[in-house]
Amino acid sequence: MKRLISIFMAAFAVLTVTASVVPAQTASAQSSAALSIVPKKTYQIESGKTVNDKLTIRNIDSDIPLELNLRVIDFTFTDDGGTPKLLLDPDAQQTKWSLKQYLTVPKTVKVEPGKSKTIDMSVKIPSNRGAGSLYSAIVYSTGASDGGNVGLSASGVTLVFANIPGQVNQDLKIEKFGAYNLANGSNAAAYTSLTTTQPQNIAYTLKNNGNVTESPTGTITLKGTFSKEQTIANINPNESLALIDQTRTFVTCIKLKSQNVDFNGTKTESKQCTDPGLWPGYYKATLNLVYGQNGNATKESTSIAGFWYLPWWFVITVLVLFAIVAIGITLLVRKFRGKNHTTKRKKLLRRK
Amino acid sequence: MQHKLFQFHAVTAMWHSFWSESFLAIFIATFILVVPASAAMRFQERSLYMENNEPGDTTSYTVAFRYMSPVVVGSVDLLFCVDPIPYRDCVTPPGLNVANATLSQQTGETGYSILSKSTNHIVMTRAPSMIQSSGSSYKFDNIVNPTDTTQSFSIRLRSHITTNATGPQTDFGSVKGQVASGIQIATQVPPMLIFCVAEEVSDNCTLTNENNYKDMGELSERSTLLAQSQMAVGTNASGGFAITANGTPMSAGMNVIDSPTSPTESVQGTNQFGLNLVANDAPVVGSDPEGEWANAIPSPDYSLPNRYKYVSGDVVAYSPNVSLMKKFTVSYIVNSSKNLKAGVYSTTITYIASGRF
Repeated sequence: MKRLISIFMAAFAVLTVTASVVPAQTASAQSSAALSIVPKKTYQIESGKTVNDKLTIRNIDSDIPLELNLRVIDFTFTDDGGTPKLLLDPDAQQTKWSLKQYLTVPKTVKVEPGKSKTIDMSVKIPSNRGAGSLYSAIVYSTGASDGGNVGLSASGVTLVFANIPGQVNQDLKIEKFGAYNLANGSNAAAYTSLTTTQPQNIAYTLKNNGNVTESPTGTITLKGTFSKEQTIANINPNESLALIDQTRTFVTCIKLKSQNVDFNGTKTESKQCTDPGLWPGYYKATLNLVYGQNGNATKESTSIAGFWYLPWWFVITVLVLFAIVAIGITLLVRKFRGKNHTTKRKKLLRRK
Repeated sequence: MQHKLFQFHAVTAMWHSFWSESFLAIFIATFILVVPASAAMRFQERSLYMENNEPGDTTSYTVAFRYMSPVVVGSVDLLFCVDPIPYRDCVTPPGLNVANATLSQQTGETGYSILSKSTNHIVMTRAPSMIQSSGSSYKFDNIVNPTDTTQSFSIRLRSHITTNATGPQTDFGSVKGQVASGIQIATQVPPMLIFCVAEEVSDNCTLTNENNYKDMGELSERSTLLAQSQMAVGTNASGGFAITANGTPMSAGMNVIDSPTSPTESVQGTNQFGLNLVANDAPVVGSDPEGEWANAIPSPDYSLPNRYKYVSGDVVAYSPNVSLMKKFTVSYIVNSSKNLKAGVYSTTITYIASGRF
């Protein structure tokens, strides 16, 4: 009996060790994981109406077909930026702005290598749906790999926004405004009121308390101690959105440079920040914000902020100048006191 | 000399603070008492309703606002510009044409007719009369919409006592509008997001090594298992892209190799599964992002050399705006403690590329 137990234990040990040593089964590649999709779709749809549209999916891989599973999920915001937080869990609670139940897409699609395929999609808004914004996302998933310790899978997402016209609740509140440093390495993005490096960005943070996504426009004027006023004419060049309930930070360039670039054979306008040529000193920034949906009140908000731009070369120069002036004054005072002292001594000597 | 100076100082002592106090008082009085030079007020409850907001379509606009100043008004000036700020140069919204506009309806303050009109300018006139009704609306037909969907436009409003919109303004304000195309026009280049993932990919995604898994070898407390994968991404969408990494950490049945939730160094003999998107030398694995486009970057937590992290759903790379193709190499490390239960540990990481809003 003891021998039998020891045989079983040995067999179990061998199995266990084998399991940890033998690499996992390999499998042939199933589907391409290289795709091109539309990242965003925006619609204006009246209650009771349907919009039929097309989605074009391209298989970038020139050798193997692309097999995709499509599903519609809800999303919200990750932080104060524009990254969607995808609610991938099939049991995730439906958001109050969900478009899921009104959005229809095919469940699967197969695209031959190097080819494109156009599929039908539709958004049907029921007649009892009130005005406001609805949004969800279409996820295109390639199949999961079958082997290895680390399997890879690629998915693409199209964000779909539908605005239902009518009287909506519009409410944007300015929470912050000022010079802004973008994330750099391990340094997180942050507002600044004193900077030694030339700021390239100004940002404003808005809280959206309404029931509609907002894309504000307006201007920012910047006036420095030693420089003339300059205007940022387009404070939302990427047409970014503040989602419902989101506190969104909109970052804009003080000086914007547009250039045409070639993206996948098409001309695309790219907007980048460029050197704004600021002089050292104090800067006052004024934000004039305008927002409003079609047929609703145009709303305005303003805010004023200030920041110091004091580069190290300027600080050192000022300190050196200050030191020179201080030394000069000290020398003059000493010289004056010295003369005075000599005169007093002479007077005393005369009296004696 | 010094004595004389002291005498002078003593005699004038009572005047020392006099000037500063006087200036301060005058300064405050100026702000409190001086009446603003202009009595102009902003129109309130301003709105614009575009019956059809397809770019380039001919449609009707209804402009509504509430007069604020209880004075005589003889004309209202409507200037269509890109910028809503009244004192700025007016740039006509591309494609817009109001030269054929007709005033088809008016409510509230009525009696207006169109005095003059041009491509981006309408002047309404009436016999000067006192404001009676505050809320008013005016519907204009035959307006050709702007064609640029990438920017909004504004109508700068001003009321005047005179009948031809000259002289000082009474009330002012702007309304905002924007055209939007529900269906993408086929001839336009739509925004696109290109994305690929494999063990090895080419910069433009056209070639991959068609391998979507990696065997890392045998777990040991005295070694770190390493793996790499690559992904390339690019978009012409103005909002840029974000890539999230999704999936459970490595596991075998119920046994899980935990992942650091903050960037952490690789430590042999502990249970660790992590990744980053930069070149590392301890251990040597990975490489920095490839591609000249500087605005597509790894997220801060995944861009620290020799530090690894993995939280499902984290954004691992992003671009805030248009980005040409960029290739990222993902490095994976696995460490195991001697107490880790035997088994085949595996995971599937799903990289999801999405546009930004």
